[in-house]
Amino acid sequence: FFDQFSLTTFMGIPLIALALTLPWILFPTPQNRCLNNRLSTLQAWFIRQFTHQLFLPINQGGHKWALLLASLLIFLITLNLLGILPYTFTPTTQLSMNMGLAIPLWLATVLIGARYQPNHTLAHLLPVGTPGLLIPILIMIETISLFIRPIALGVRLTANLTAGHLLIQLISTAAFHLLFIMPSVSLLTTTLLLLLTILELAVAIIQAYVFVLLVSLYLQDP
Amino acid sequence: MLSRLVFIPASALKSSGSMGAGLVQASRCLHISPQNQAPVPPLPEKSGKVRHGIIPEEFFQFLYPKTGVTGPYVLGTGLLLYLLSKEIYVVNHETVAAASVGAVLIYAVKKFGPGIATFADKLNDEKAAKVQEVKDTAVNSLTQAIEAEKKEQWRVEGRQMLFDAKRNNVAMILETNYRERLHMVTNEVKKRLEYQVQLQNLHHRMEQEYMVDWVEKNVVKSITPQQEKESIAKCIADLKALAKTTQAKVSL
Repeated sequence: FFDQFSLTTFMGIPLIALALTLPWILFPTPQNRCLNNRLSTLQAWFIRQFTHQLFLPINQGGHKWALLLASLLIFLITLNLLGILPYTFTPTTQLSMNMGLAIPLWLATVLIGARYQPNHTLAHLLPVGTPGLLIPILIMIETISLFIRPIALGVRLTANLTAGHLLIQLISTAAFHLLFIMPSVSLLTTTLLLLLTILELAVAIIQAYVFVLLVSLYLQDP
Repeated sequence: MLSRLVFIPASALKSSGSMGAGLVQASRCLHISPQNQAPVPPLPEKSGKVRHGIIPEEFFQFLYPKTGVTGPYVLGTGLLLYLLSKEIYVVNHETVAAASVGAVLIYAVKKFGPGIATFADKLNDEKAAKVQEVKDTAVNSLTQAIEAEKKEQWRVEGRQMLFDAKRNNVAMILETNYRERLHMVTNEVKKRLEYQVQLQNLHHRMEQEYMVDWVEKNVVKSITPQQEKESIAKCIADLKALAKTTQAKVSL
């Protein structure tokens, strides 16, 4: 059942590059015209809405991250949604890829914060108004929570997607095999359908990913 | 709308997002049609017709001359049965997964499709309305400017009359001024002349008086005392005579 997560190779050539880049074909580039077709209009509207929402609490030099975060969102949403189709490979189920996305971005926010406002960054390690005795323990806890962020980001994404895909596989196998032993199938199928709709919360996972990234960005105050 | 995504040809690679620019430049030698920038060709009003949401109508039209109306359906059914029977497409758990995914997607498209389409159209219409409004405002302001200009031209004509009136006014003032001064000059000259006349009159009078005085004086001097007595006696006699006549008149 874990075959779906192995890298696809075709005659010995790993196809991961294709899996990562081909989804871009699906999105039309915005043409230089005032009124576009529906798809272009919707796409442009969606990206603009998202970027606007995302950068409301920041309005600083953090706006430099706009392009990066918006394209990250579209990338992850596309990869996840396409992975729901049967016989597809979802790159984001690979922990390597997700950590490769999480650690550099998180590190960038920490370093930017440490560089421009070292005092403020260090001050974040201690919340306001703690009783004196708890200070050493709290600093340890805050440091640990700071360093656990990239792991949390990457693992959250991987775990959610992998678990979702695995569940779909298992339940569909069960439904398929029980098809010939009639009654339980309908129940299982409905459960499967429900699971699918929830899996189209892969979109939400992406929101969560980018949002958490944004929270750390916002806190670091570049 | 969304179903067209499956059938986008590889030539769309040219417009793929991240590498679009590079690919456009690199593939310039492959371009066939001349590139026009400015007159952007208009978008077709309706999207391409599709049957059953996925298969474009052109496919049916393509097969129509040879196989008629049922051709594509027979092709589809035969292909499916062939794949299934030869186990080229194996029915396994993925089929169930595919069926449920398909059901969810079709449900979503049918339910939310028209809504999203109208929303996209609304976005486009708002954009067009904004631009139209700009154009209308511009046209309005320009018509108003034209009317204002015409009014100014009419005013200019009126201004000529105004200038004439002012010119007349000024001329009249000048004239009045001139007349006043003339009048003043006349008065002054008359005063001077009158003065001279008065002076002459004075001289005349003084000469006359002096002459009269001199005559009187000489006459008085020439009256001898005797003559004086004689005249006084004559006067008394006259007076008596007169008194008599008057008394006579009164008693009558």
